[in-house]
Amino acid sequence: MRRIVLPLLVASSLVWAAVSSAATRPRYGGTLHVAIRAAPASLDPADPVQANSTAAQNISRLVFDTLVILDDRGQAQPALASSWQSEPGGQRWQFMLRTGVKFHNGSAFTPDTVAASLRASNPTWKVFPATDSVIIECDAAVPDFPAELALPRNAIAKRDGNKLFGTGPFAIADWQPGKKLTLTSRDEYWGGRPFVDSIEIEMGKSLREQMISLDLGKADLVEVAPEQAHRAAAEGRQVESSAPVELMALVFSRERQSPEDGKPREALALSLDRSSLNTVLLQGGGELAGSLLPNWLTGYAFLFPTGPDLPRARELRDEAQQVPIWTLGYDPTDPVARVVAERISLNARDAGLKLQLSAANSADVRLVRIVLPSLNARVALTGVAAGLGLTPPKFTGNSVSDLYAAESTLIQSQRVIPLLHIRSSYALSAIVKDWGQDPDALWRLPEVWLGTEKP
Amino acid sequence: MHCTVYNSRNPDMPASSIRLQRVACALVGLLYLLPTVMSATDWSAPAEQLAHKIVAVTGPGAVSLEFTNRSSLAKTDFEEVRRQVLTHAAALGLRFVKADQAAATVQVSVSENIASYVWVAEIHLGNNESSVVMISLPHPETANISRESAPLTIHKTLLWAQEDRILDAAVLEGSPAHLVVLDPDRATLYRFQDSRWQMEQALPIKHSRPWPRDLRGRLFVRKDHLFDAYLPGVYCQSTITAPLGLNCRDSDDPWPLGSEQNSLNAFFSPARNFFTGALTPGIGKQTTAPAFYSAAALPREKYTLWLLATVSGQVHLLDGVTDQTAGRLGWGSDLASVHTGCGSGWQILATRSGDVSADSVRAFEMADREPAPVSQALDFDGSITALWADSGGSGAMVVSHNSESGKYEAYRLTLTCGQ
Repeated sequence: MRRIVLPLLVASSLVWAAVSSAATRPRYGGTLHVAIRAAPASLDPADPVQANSTAAQNISRLVFDTLVILDDRGQAQPALASSWQSEPGGQRWQFMLRTGVKFHNGSAFTPDTVAASLRASNPTWKVFPATDSVIIECDAAVPDFPAELALPRNAIAKRDGNKLFGTGPFAIADWQPGKKLTLTSRDEYWGGRPFVDSIEIEMGKSLREQMISLDLGKADLVEVAPEQAHRAAAEGRQVESSAPVELMALVFSRERQSPEDGKPREALALSLDRSSLNTVLLQGGGELAGSLLPNWLTGYAFLFPTGPDLPRARELRDEAQQVPIWTLGYDPTDPVARVVAERISLNARDAGLKLQLSAANSADVRLVRIVLPSLNARVALTGVAAGLGLTPPKFTGNSVSDLYAAESTLIQSQRVIPLLHIRSSYALSAIVKDWGQDPDALWRLPEVWLGTEKP
Repeated sequence: MHCTVYNSRNPDMPASSIRLQRVACALVGLLYLLPTVMSATDWSAPAEQLAHKIVAVTGPGAVSLEFTNRSSLAKTDFEEVRRQVLTHAAALGLRFVKADQAAATVQVSVSENIASYVWVAEIHLGNNESSVVMISLPHPETANISRESAPLTIHKTLLWAQEDRILDAAVLEGSPAHLVVLDPDRATLYRFQDSRWQMEQALPIKHSRPWPRDLRGRLFVRKDHLFDAYLPGVYCQSTITAPLGLNCRDSDDPWPLGSEQNSLNAFFSPARNFFTGALTPGIGKQTTAPAFYSAAALPREKYTLWLLATVSGQVHLLDGVTDQTAGRLGWGSDLASVHTGCGSGWQILATRSGDVSADSVRAFEMADREPAPVSQALDFDGSITALWADSGGSGAMVVSHNSESGKYEAYRLTLTCGQ
């Protein structure tokens, strides 16, 4: 028996050795090369342009920290604040600050700098520094205030003239606005030094340029359009996709004036073949959306219908006393926006509606894409509504039913027609190890390390 | 001010153990029982809550009730949810009939989001009115306890599982037995009582510098006091008398490698995850080596052969005179040696390299300078984050990060020969 077992063990050992080559424990060192399409002109987290840019948020998190972060379940966890408490009513909050933290320029992390930073990003807040904490007073009760503080725009920055300093895992070594950012790891980072020594981010690169850089070994992490993700993977690249985190929707520029005004809007909503948009135009890069928030965040999104109903759409069109000819605006820099807009126009025509495409900023209906701003569903709904120019949602309580009611009200306003929730996809070089994303698709680059050998 | 809204998560999952050989049998039995006990989630209260909401809309009478599972809930749990909702709804006056005979049709969907299960009931009344009611309930803490698998020679026994990263764990013999679990913030002492480990004391670990990523730490059981804890840049020593204390100080003192029988210490980089390569007192004349992640000793008749899993990915063999590099072994970065008395007496336990989503450990003999496998690979449900030899050398401690439950699990590994 022993004679049989040993050769078998040796043979299986060879397989054991052959399938793997890199050490499993993370390795320190190296430079991670990243290419992105966005070309932010500012790194300031308080810059409102950053709010709807995943790339800007990803960069912000490398340099700046927030007082609070959200875990994978959307629950608030300590970051620069070690703990917090609120007075009954949730209007006054105290955040105890972590000790031993320094800004990248070596200056101390103090309640004064935190208060100044939060005031810069939220001029209406009343923020008071205390001995080892900051106290924030809001105009109204905000039960999800810690989640609000986890938003990237509330990251803590020390502003010194034109210079910005954060407390994050990487410090800025070189910044050419809109072109290139070089970051270096901080040994003294309170959350532990990142594994890579530095990150170089090339900005303003088209998706095609990014893929070429990856294939030439000049980039380790590049963006992939959702409709290209399958193809990129089929061609042998390592492609990682997130949960659907970006809402594509149609937004009317003005409120519905009357119930009569709502009939052609409902007809348009019922004419849309979301399934074709997803499977044909986006190559399965998203999920059908009848709601603003995806099901993985709420658990109830399936209640909002997504299927077309052309007979009912035509009925509504016929019932409408006036059927307007709408202009449909789209972002001409978005490669997929035009084809989606064209398909929507065709769907509308099947229901007897007319849409004229327009790349101009002003249009009756706009095709928009907006990233999920938070892993807290209430904060996310509020952020999405603000981003789309909708009336802020009203929550009557903290339950999932209250969330559903608030979202239903927004949908029923007929200002917005959700289309798809789209995934974020990235292609990685073979040396990138322990790649990870938060559920909202933000990078976890401090955890990434670089292997030396390609498998 | 009050209403504190953040508190650190406290592990409250009952864990089980074996206390070395003497209590092994009793506790293995306990390990087999625990999964059954812990999977029995009580769905009754939320089911009753949903039933109340449904009946508030439909009123008592004839309804048709259908169920859909849109969640990750297992089929058996889903069936239990269904049974509980039907039971409570019936108790509230609902009668279940076919849709064409019903005054209302109810479609119950068991869904979920990132934090909770969401149970939704879509209710359609005869007068074309529709309404939706729903409840949410947090995902229960999953108690994913791996049963002892069927390896031929390596046995693993779950000692403890928790959300926070476990750096090392050690069983302290005595009556009652104690378990020390080292994590980034504390060393927690558990006493074995009423067939389970019960927390006795949490000893905070003070440190002035930030911990590095991929934090590592080691417990070493001592004879003159209970234990020492080594973390990057920090050394902690337990007190001798009760109540137990832990004195920690910033220190670059070398960490012990191997077990008591193989006395060698090495300096650990305070801001990284590896040993610098400086050895004390050295292996024979060798006092430096390439930076390495782990080391394992194989005592020979006249010398001790040390295997170092170096940062470069190679395994170096040091015998006091020469420094040889082994070929590509497919080993990961964690090694430990175990004294079994079988074969050559000592075996190497090595993690597998490569895919970190599911690691394994395998035992090897080093007859000369070539390793030969002497066991099948023992799989873990996630990446192995620590592997240390017992202070006594008779086993090893493995920490695995379970990719399903998200918990860190500390296992004791023992080898039995001839099976």
